[in-house]
Amino acid sequence: MIKRNEKPPHSETLKFHLPQIDTFNLENGLEVFFVQKKTLPFLYMNLVVDAGSKYDPQGKKGLANLFARMADEGAAEYDSLALSDEFDIIGANFSINCNQDSIYVSLQVLQEEFERGLELFTKVILDPHLHQIDFDREKRKVSTRIMQIQDDADEIANQVFEYKIFGNLNPYAFPTIGYEKDVDIISINDIREYYKNNLMPEHSFLVVVGDYAADKLRQVLNNGFIKWKRSSISAADLSFKTSLAPGLYFVNKKDSVQSELRTGLISFKRNEYDYYARSILNTIFGGQFSSRINLNLRENKGFTYGAFSRFIYFKSSAYFYISTSVGIENTAVSINEIINEIEKIRSGITKEELEFAKSSLIRKFPANFESHRQIAANIIGQVIHSLPDNYFEKYIDEINNVTMERINKAAEDNLNPDNLITIVVGDTSKLKEQLKQFHPKVLHELDIHGNEIGELQF
Amino acid sequence: MDILNVDYEKYKLKNGLEVILHKDDNLPLIAVNIWYKVGSANEQKGKTGMAHLFEHMMFQGSENVPKEMHFRYIQEAGGSLNGSTSFDRTNYYEKLPSNFLELALWLESDRMCFLLPALTQEKLDNQKDVVINERLERYDNQPYGLAWEIIVSNLYPAGHPYSWPTIGYVEDISSFTLEDVHSFFKKYYSPSNASLVVAGNFVESFAREKIVEYFENIPDLVRNEKINHVKVELKESKNLIREENVQLERIYFTWPTELLYGKDDAALDILADILSGSKNSRLYKNLVHEKEIAQDVSAFQFSGNAGGHFMIIATAKKGIPLEKIKDEIFMELKKIKTEGVSQHELKKTKNGSKSNFIFSLQDLDTMANQLNFYNNILGEPNSFNFDLNRYNEITNDKIVEVTGKYFDKPFIELKIIPKK
Repeated sequence: MIKRNEKPPHSETLKFHLPQIDTFNLENGLEVFFVQKKTLPFLYMNLVVDAGSKYDPQGKKGLANLFARMADEGAAEYDSLALSDEFDIIGANFSINCNQDSIYVSLQVLQEEFERGLELFTKVILDPHLHQIDFDREKRKVSTRIMQIQDDADEIANQVFEYKIFGNLNPYAFPTIGYEKDVDIISINDIREYYKNNLMPEHSFLVVVGDYAADKLRQVLNNGFIKWKRSSISAADLSFKTSLAPGLYFVNKKDSVQSELRTGLISFKRNEYDYYARSILNTIFGGQFSSRINLNLRENKGFTYGAFSRFIYFKSSAYFYISTSVGIENTAVSINEIINEIEKIRSGITKEELEFAKSSLIRKFPANFESHRQIAANIIGQVIHSLPDNYFEKYIDEINNVTMERINKAAEDNLNPDNLITIVVGDTSKLKEQLKQFHPKVLHELDIHGNEIGELQF
Repeated sequence: MDILNVDYEKYKLKNGLEVILHKDDNLPLIAVNIWYKVGSANEQKGKTGMAHLFEHMMFQGSENVPKEMHFRYIQEAGGSLNGSTSFDRTNYYEKLPSNFLELALWLESDRMCFLLPALTQEKLDNQKDVVINERLERYDNQPYGLAWEIIVSNLYPAGHPYSWPTIGYVEDISSFTLEDVHSFFKKYYSPSNASLVVAGNFVESFAREKIVEYFENIPDLVRNEKINHVKVELKESKNLIREENVQLERIYFTWPTELLYGKDDAALDILADILSGSKNSRLYKNLVHEKEIAQDVSAFQFSGNAGGHFMIIATAKKGIPLEKIKDEIFMELKKIKTEGVSQHELKKTKNGSKSNFIFSLQDLDTMANQLNFYNNILGEPNSFNFDLNRYNEITNDKIVEVTGKYFDKPFIELKIIPKK
């Protein structure tokens, strides 16, 4: 019979079989990662091109995104609307996205329509129109969207935070969507050049997940991409210097009813510091609901709907940050609590916390391979961060082997409070009284792009 | 399609709790999903937000589960969990490694039976603060964030169960006492007012046995409450204007329409897709792509047990008068009413629905929730094919009929414009 007053026992763990990743190259060199998943009759594919906004030249921030926005505005025999219609009529979801590292072209389609979906997909890659008229329209859309960012405290906070974290010498500092004045001067020729210099098989890889025979897949992909030729153009050589500018920064957003807070600091890349220790550290600190930071700010103080922390790993740079939005009256005290929590975790974690975090990460592992998209995302991360082939096989052992010492060292090496940058987006006129306590620290005031416009005076 | 023909077992415990079991052995995972037949529609004016605040209290521990441990136990087991509240229902769900099924049953049954002994003033005060911050973050501090509550409070007559937002008003949320929480629990949180879905990779005999052990002794308290609602009809159109800190003007049109699974519900979904569901949809093509007078446009049919409405929303490009956008929207509606839609448009929408049904089956949480949804609304968990067929049966004549039926009548017009 059950006992209500204690946690029930669990039965034996069921065996989890990692999806098998089949890797091959097409005749043009394009690397393909295929996971055959027969549970449902559809496929998901994602072409990842090393052509993200980190390559945007100075003065033309927003170029990669604008290319991504208009790459499917007409291709081969179809104009923009007709092309969209062709995907719709086969019930496919097709999209092109862009972040700092890459452009992602993805397709989700029923098995019976896969070949047609692939045909349309390759038309976009091989023969996009890139017409002036479509460019003008998409550019106006992007400019309007940029204007709308100033409405949204959350977006402003994210944008300003990345700018301050990386500093303006680092290509990751700039918003993928770009700046209005930059987008203004981007021309259709810039877009065509961008296409020519960046969209090529040797800068790309393709991930396919779904119900399809492996040999047939290889054949249809080879046929589809046969005209996509290699070129000798190499990716631009970028420098990822970061400049440290710790401090307290404010962006005034008049009439805000909350303050958006971001606190964090630059960190080591995904593959250059003890990832497993950092992963456990973050699980304890702010990576899930019952983390220190959320229990403190939400479940204990009631200052916020939620607070979390995360390591963000780009290919060539990384940072750690805490994010929350709090009632205006609790802004200063929340900043102090966040900094206290950082100092506290540097003095060590408990054995219970370590066991909890390991258990959570290890047992959650199979659920990371549930959907087609999740499987693809795992592979994409593995490639972008150059993780070893046996990364997934060894994951559970690696987490298990992390010691308390490694985590405490990770906290010390990764969370130096002297390097913290804090961004507050809120109504500064309503914050003044509580901010006096930070005196004599300088409270920098920034515009929505992160440029310094002065100091808050009291 | 066979794939949409989903196997399940359904039965009732002695106390009235409905149970639905669905086996899926693809991964070593299980999903547990409980619906309680209570939402913000069960609240009263002046006491709005109770159902949602109550959902928060359900995560604060119960007699045998200390505060914070509900989350911690599930996360320690590698699970994920959440809950949500709508007009008509509240759901709670968790996804776990298969071998932790009993943990989920223990936690769900403990809060179904023994929530009140663990309830304290401190917990309530804390979650009231959290929920008020949730409201600030998700609505008050979002651009255009209050549009929905302005619209429903003007569209539905005073006292109608959909005339206030599910999150509730701040003054109501602040006013709730422990006694309010107690009586809400006693009124709605009991076995015969709930249904439990277990989906995934489990041993059926074990699941059945444990469900009985954990749930069957929970006493049933509920007397069924029927929500009274009047048919919503606007006597005349209302024009509302609100100034906000936004860059661009936005216009919202809302017509009272059809209930969930009412005879026009699916046709209105299809109409919405034809109007704004893709780049080559009527309104998107006209307003955003060709004339470039709007930055975005969307249309959708919202429907629930006690009401339904159809919304069209467009954001004007800088300097474009909203009246111009309004003219184009009404012109497109009129065109559909007089000329109908093409077979091609219908086919696009239907094929999209079919794909999306199949894509949605890959997530066990979604699957479990969908079984509960169908069971609660239609009494039949395996309604995937039925649901898809509702869309497949829609003809051009039906689209023309609903366009004529609803869109010539009075409506709510809301303009949100930049503060001067």
